[in-house]
Amino acid sequence: MENTNLEATESMDIINKMINNAKSKLADDGFLLIFWGWNVIAAALIHYATLKLHIQHGEYVWAILMPLGGIISAVYGFKQGKKVKVKTYVGTYLGYLWGAFGIGMVLTLVCMPQYGIKVTYFMLMILYGVATFVCGGILNFKPLIIGSLLSFACAFLSNFCGEVDQLLIISIALLCSYVIPGHLLRSKFKSQQHV
Amino acid sequence: MFKELDPILHSQLRLAIISLLVSVKEAEFTYLKEETGASAGNISVQIQKLKEADYIDIEKKFKDNYPLTICKITPKGISAFEDYVKILKQYINTKK
Repeated sequence: MENTNLEATESMDIINKMINNAKSKLADDGFLLIFWGWNVIAAALIHYATLKLHIQHGEYVWAILMPLGGIISAVYGFKQGKKVKVKTYVGTYLGYLWGAFGIGMVLTLVCMPQYGIKVTYFMLMILYGVATFVCGGILNFKPLIIGSLLSFACAFLSNFCGEVDQLLIISIALLCSYVIPGHLLRSKFKSQQHV
Repeated sequence: MFKELDPILHSQLRLAIISLLVSVKEAEFTYLKEETGASAGNISVQIQKLKEADYIDIEKKFKDNYPLTICKITPKGISAFEDYVKILKQYINTKK
């Protein structure tokens, strides 16, 4: 691109092209959605299996997989942060969203002894739904919004079953709101990288 | 009677840089280079002109021992860009 004077229509073309270039870059590659989706599904299903097979202390799987997930996410975030050449408003909004989601998750888990497991599982699915609904809106990505609605539906249905079966419903909620939209988001992100 | 287009913005590369910066929070020099396809030397000159007009802020720091230039549009730059687009639309509408 040279530094020459312009016709009015040429100016408008440049403005449109540059704004579209900046806007079309997806701020999220879907990795953390996929990673956390599978991580929590693995924990929920292992916990479910231990309860069904009467193996004691199956709940410790959460204490192992969740902090491990936190460490992997932090390392991934640090590496990604180094690669980033541009800070977008979308990226900033997503940062605030997932920050608030993280605080909500920690508070829900800390208060678990007071409210009991059943209410906690319900709240977790509501939080997944809220986070992916807003994320889908910010990224204008419909699969996330549809997934979030399914997570809300799972939260509602979980009121009609026992604590053990709630683990299966949490897995379904995460599959719908994290894993499937995450994979779709990742393939969209990768296709943009090749344009 | 048309207002005159801002001469600072009415050039291909400076307009491209401002259009990119108006869409993001802040951008590294290399991002501007990749998106505009212009040479590093040319971009350096043009961002300096935009800075002199107070349309952008330039922050220089180091990342992994390499110099890093970060550009960010100022409120004055946003206002100038909005005025430029408004006048541009008048020009285009009259030509139709």
